Amino acid sequence: MNGFDRILGRTKLALRLIAIVGLMAGLHAPSARAADTTTKPAVDPSCDKWLKRMSDYLAQAQSFSVNAEIWQDVNLASGQQVQAGRNITLQVRRPNLFHAEMHSTRHHRELYYDGKSITLVNRDQNFYGTIPAPASMDEAMDTAIERFGIAMPLEDLVVSDPYQSAMKKIVSGTDIGPVTVLGTPCEHLAFSLGSVDWQVWVEDGARPVPRKIVFTYKDEENSPQFIALFSHWDFEGKLPDFLFNFEPPPGASKIGVAAIKAQNDAQKKEGK
Amino acid sequence: MKRSHFFSRNFLAAGLAAVVAALPFLLYAAERAEPARGGGGEPAHIGGGQPAHIAPASRPAPVQRVNHGTVRHVEPPAPVERRAPPSIRPPNRVPPRAFRPGDPQVDVHRDWGWRHFSYGRRWSALPSGCFTIVVGGASFYCGDGVFYQPVDGGYQEVYPPDGAVLPELPDGAVEIDGPDQTYYYVDGAFYVEVGNGYQIVQAPIGVIVPELPPGAAQLIINGQVEYQFNGTNYLPVFVNGVTQYQSVAP
Repeated sequence: MNGFDRILGRTKLALRLIAIVGLMAGLHAPSARAADTTTKPAVDPSCDKWLKRMSDYLAQAQSFSVNAEIWQDVNLASGQQVQAGRNITLQVRRPNLFHAEMHSTRHHRELYYDGKSITLVNRDQNFYGTIPAPASMDEAMDTAIERFGIAMPLEDLVVSDPYQSAMKKIVSGTDIGPVTVLGTPCEHLAFSLGSVDWQVWVEDGARPVPRKIVFTYKDEENSPQFIALFSHWDFEGKLPDFLFNFEPPPGASKIGVAAIKAQNDAQKKEGK
Repeated sequence: MKRSHFFSRNFLAAGLAAVVAALPFLLYAAERAEPARGGGGEPAHIGGGQPAHIAPASRPAPVQRVNHGTVRHVEPPAPVERRAPPSIRPPNRVPPRAFRPGDPQVDVHRDWGWRHFSYGRRWSALPSGCFTIVVGGASFYCGDGVFYQPVDGGYQEVYPPDGAVLPELPDGAVEIDGPDQTYYYVDGAFYVEVGNGYQIVQAPIGVIVPELPPGAAQLIINGQVEYQFNGTNYLPVFVNGVTQYQSVAP
C-alpha cells in the first residue's frame, strides 16, 4: 500500500466517522428539543409560590365577587395611542354560575352563565342573545372564545385551577418584590407568555388576591397594555340564584350571536 | 516529512468531523438564542439582568387581537392576509388612513370624524370647502363626504350617490373586509378604491359594520329588529360579544 492509498483509506475512515457522529448528533438535537418543551417553565421558586398561593385561594373560594377597573390602550387611525376605561363587576359561584356586568361611558353590557347557556345582554339597546354552553365553567369559557370569539371577562380568576391554567402558557416568571398597590402591600410578579408579558400584584396577607394585573402585547402595534385594578373583593357575601339567571326585561329583543365560522361565511357570501 | 503530511491530513479530517458533528448543536443553540416572538418561544431573560435583544430586521407583522386580558386564551388570532394595494393605485397616492376595528370590548370616545349625515337636513348655505360633483347627470355639492342638493333657496343633505368618486376618503373611514375587496365605511356610505380616488358603491350585503349608519330607521320585521338606511337593512348581531350590524337585503 503506497502513501496515497493510505491517505485515501484514512480519509474514508474519517468520512465514515463524520457520517456516524453527524447522524447521532442530528438524532440527538430533536430529542433534546422535545425534552425541552416538556420541562417546567423557568419560573423562580418565590414567584411560583406566590402564583400558586393566589391561585389556590381563588380556586378554593366557593363564591366571590370583585370589581375591576380596566384601562386598555387603543391605537387610533391617526397613530395616537389612547387609553379607554371600563368597569367590570364579577360574581362567581362555583362550580358553574357566573355573572359579569361591564359599564363604560357609552355601553352597559352583561354576560350570564348558568351551567347550560351563556347569555349576552346589551342593556343600552335592550338586546340579548343566548348560546348553549357546556356544564363545566372551564369548557364554557373555551367554547365561548373558540366558537363565538367571546372572552369571559377576567376568566383567569374564575377557571377551576388558575395555577395549572396559567402555567400552561407561562414561559418564565420572576418575583420582582414587594410593592404597594393603592396602599395595599403586594408582591409583584412578572411573567412572560412569549410575545405577551403578564404582571400580577398579589396582596401580601391572609387573603392573597390579585390587586392589579397588566398585560403587555408586544406582538401588537405599539405594544398596547391591558390594565386591571381590583377592589371590593368579597368572599363572604351571599350570591343568590337570581343573580345568575337572566330574565329578559320588558321589550327586550333577542338577536343572533355570530359564530366565528358564520362571521367568515357572511363575508364570503357577500356579492354572490 | 511524509509522516507530518499524513498527520496534517488526519488532523484536517478530524477537524472536519468535529465541525460537522457540532453543527446540529450549534444550530440548536442558535435557535434557542432567538428572542421569543409569535406564539411562544423562549423567555427573553429572567432575573432582572440584561434583556435579550431583539433584532428588528426580521420582526413579524403585528397581530390584532379581538380579546385581551386573558392568560388562558392569550394566543393571537390566525394571521389575516392583508390584501396588496390595488394595482390601480397611482404610485404617488398615500395609502388611505382608515381605522381597522380591533377589540370590540374597548369603549373609547373614538372620534370617527363622521359628519353625522342626516337625510333631509336643510342648510341656508353650503359648508366651506364644498365642491360640485356630477353623478349620472345629476349635480351634487359635496363637503367631507356629505352630499347636498339645492332646495327652496337652500340646500339639503341627500344620500351619498352611488358612483360618485372623491379624490380622498372622508375623515373617520373604517376599513371593512369584503370577500373580494376592501371597503371603507363612512357615515353609512361604502367606498372602494379606484384609479382616480374612492368611489361610492352600493352597500355590500353580508358585511358587518361596527356602527349603524347615522339616522338609520328602526323597523320590526317578523318580530325582529332591523335598521334601514338608504335601501339597505342592517341586522343587529352579537359579534365577539358585542352588538354589531350585518347588512342584509331588504
